[in-house]
Amino acid sequence: MSIVTVQLGQCGNQIGREVFNAICSDVHGTHGLCSKKENESYHDACKERFFIEAESGVPVARAVLVDMEPKVISQTLSIAAKSGYWKYDDHSHFCQKQGSGNNWANGYTVHGPRHKEVIMNLVQKEAEKCDRLGGFFTIMSMAGGTGSGLGAFVTQCLRDAFPSSFILNHVIWPYGTGEVIVQNYNSVLTLSHLYQSSDALLVHENDVIHKICAQLMHMKQISFKDVNQVIAHQLGSVFQPTYTAEDGLHYSRNPLGDLMETLVPHPEFKMLGLRNIPQMPENSLAYSTFSWPGLIKHLRQMLIANAKMEEGIDWQVQPPRPGSSIPSSHSTNKLLHFNTSIANLVILRGKDTHSADLGSFRDPSLYTSWLNPQDAFGAWKTPRAFNKYEKSASLVSNSQFLLKPLDNVVRKAWNMFASKAYVHQYTKYGIEEEDFLDSFTALEQVISSYTIL
Amino acid sequence: TTHVLLPLQNSSSFFSRAYFYSSCWFFPSICGLSLCPLVVFFITVLTTLPGTELRLPDTQIRFVKSALWYHGYGRPELYRLPSDGSAGSRELLLAFSWLLHRISLLEQLLARNRVRTGDETSVCMCEDDLSQSEKGTTEIAPEYGPEDRVDVRYLQWLSGRLRFQWRSLHAQHQEQCKLLHKIHLLTTGCHVDQILGHFSVTEMDLIRQPENYKQLVQLLELETMQLEAFLEWKQREPVYWQWMVMTQMNFKGCSLLKSNKENLPCSLFFPPPPSIQVKTRAEDLQKEDFAATVRKIQEAVELKLLDLSNLCAPKKNKMHGLCRLVRSVSKEPAPAVSATEVIRELQMREASLQRELKQLREECRQRLDEIAEGLDGVICISP
Repeated sequence: MSIVTVQLGQCGNQIGREVFNAICSDVHGTHGLCSKKENESYHDACKERFFIEAESGVPVARAVLVDMEPKVISQTLSIAAKSGYWKYDDHSHFCQKQGSGNNWANGYTVHGPRHKEVIMNLVQKEAEKCDRLGGFFTIMSMAGGTGSGLGAFVTQCLRDAFPSSFILNHVIWPYGTGEVIVQNYNSVLTLSHLYQSSDALLVHENDVIHKICAQLMHMKQISFKDVNQVIAHQLGSVFQPTYTAEDGLHYSRNPLGDLMETLVPHPEFKMLGLRNIPQMPENSLAYSTFSWPGLIKHLRQMLIANAKMEEGIDWQVQPPRPGSSIPSSHSTNKLLHFNTSIANLVILRGKDTHSADLGSFRDPSLYTSWLNPQDAFGAWKTPRAFNKYEKSASLVSNSQFLLKPLDNVVRKAWNMFASKAYVHQYTKYGIEEEDFLDSFTALEQVISSYTIL
Repeated sequence: TTHVLLPLQNSSSFFSRAYFYSSCWFFPSICGLSLCPLVVFFITVLTTLPGTELRLPDTQIRFVKSALWYHGYGRPELYRLPSDGSAGSRELLLAFSWLLHRISLLEQLLARNRVRTGDETSVCMCEDDLSQSEKGTTEIAPEYGPEDRVDVRYLQWLSGRLRFQWRSLHAQHQEQCKLLHKIHLLTTGCHVDQILGHFSVTEMDLIRQPENYKQLVQLLELETMQLEAFLEWKQREPVYWQWMVMTQMNFKGCSLLKSNKENLPCSLFFPPPPSIQVKTRAEDLQKEDFAATVRKIQEAVELKLLDLSNLCAPKKNKMHGLCRLVRSVSKEPAPAVSATEVIRELQMREASLQRELKQLREECRQRLDEIAEGLDGVICISP
């Protein structure tokens, strides 16, 4: 089962490269902490999932690179090839001779349609190379100009061309105080369009990752590369091979399908957040040990209290006791503090995962009233350690994690829209005020659905 | 009845993957629901000595109830049975007998558990209203007690899961097709049989691992045993029905007689279907006779088809059932149907199903609008 990665724009390409890097170095590392046979199975499963064996012996990433400028793509290709461990296919990319400005509408209505055939041909070629197409994984920023508009268009094309494939969009949420003045417009347009074509939106917030770099990794000067590497580590911790609960004998050959089925069967609820612990500087790893009960306890509280990292968790927040609160304060409590979940997926990697007890995640009070934990909770495990962490736990959560950020972005965009500021930049390329209104309506519906859980 | 799943090797070599696929029953069952668990369930229940406690998981009971409902079993007493299997062996006996008669349960099982050495796929080019399998299904809901109210979001959730499971199945199926194609391509010209021309996955596997022939022989022996057991059953079958009549005759208000569409003589509950007359003399029970009666049924069906005027005038090859997949480049007409014909047939079916779906959606929309009109302060915005 193979995943085809589509790297869109500068952000998508830089992160994509770090993801393949992280996966490759994990596989080649000697820190697996498991039997040779287990390691080989893991290696084989990972190879099938992300790479193709080439005649040269160097695995080729199953990816399509798209950008409007040539600079980032050529950098991406050469850095990958230099590693010696893996590379991109020399022909599997598309770019223009020059960039085209930071404009969502330009990407969506002009560049997208203009280059649709070329881009989709590249995707089709990659898809055909797969014995079994497990789905598409796109990486893009939500608020950058062309990348996000083009990304939304390409996702739509993917859906049209592959109606029965799984499509997971990895979306980078911009810094709150970002430099692009129309980033909230772009975000609203991107999200509303992706919601129609994509199966799930897995979000990473730049602000959050930045804090992780500063507080947990103790980095002083934080570059985009540092942020991207943390993101890559977190994604790797989700998509490297695991065993599902149903089959403990073979690594899953349908990770995207398993994930979708556990987390996003309901078409109204597609926003996924990701948490991964522990997270620490590499040189501290050798001196730290963790226990599964400790890790699981922290992860659970991060879920309940909507904490972004394992430091500064609010331990006061507790799930509502059934039948004990007055309705009004109950809902206030929920809105302000307690993070209600729809569904959760926990992934454990490393030593003694078989002994890890995930019962606390099956507490019904964590979940919305119309789902019980049998339907709403999934767990994947592997004894094979990931990326030098002796034990590593990840949580992919369909919950109110992103409710507040989403609400903020929509509110700010709406305030700007009320005075029609900068709207002409969009109408110039065919995105009318009505399209904006449609997007606002769609997102308000999503916000409302998540609020009344 | 069992089937043997040959062990999948650890390496993800494509041969072992192809073989794994061919030894599971990958294709959707003709009847829609798996029959083996159904039979196992009945045999478990019916062979339990009276007085011994029998506790069954309620998922099993629910599965049996939904399977019976799917096939059109209309007797409400069965659906009211408790979920733990603690009561109702008489109802179960009736239901089992009904299945034996109505859907030719044993014959279907035999057909499904046939040992196959070729790569197979199911083909159905019958007209919809003559399809055997669909005759038995029903739209009538059973008389359950009032269920608890369910949040519509939960139903949407379940519907979404089904949709994703279908997608995963689709992807697996496509992989299998790719692997089959590779094997057929690679082994072209190797087969002794000129018409077939290439190996099937099973044959390929036997070449690579000749010691596996032992398992194949075991399967064939098992199949022979099953056929012998079936023939023995056929001999004694009339006794079973006589016994059923004698012991169940005081079963008042048996609504099954009314729900059966054929005209039945009253002395028997469910007489065997008129087209299959199995001779009870042991000497006459040979497989050739069985094949002959099947041929007679096929001819009768074809006659009916000729009577019907159809949308499509040209006469087609009306195939139904499992066929061996052969990659063929020769123009020789073999007793076969080409892939292009099957694809065309499926496309026509797809088009007519799309039309039906559109119509149903329109009806649904109208119903919702009517309901919304009757409610205060409610606007219905349909997708």
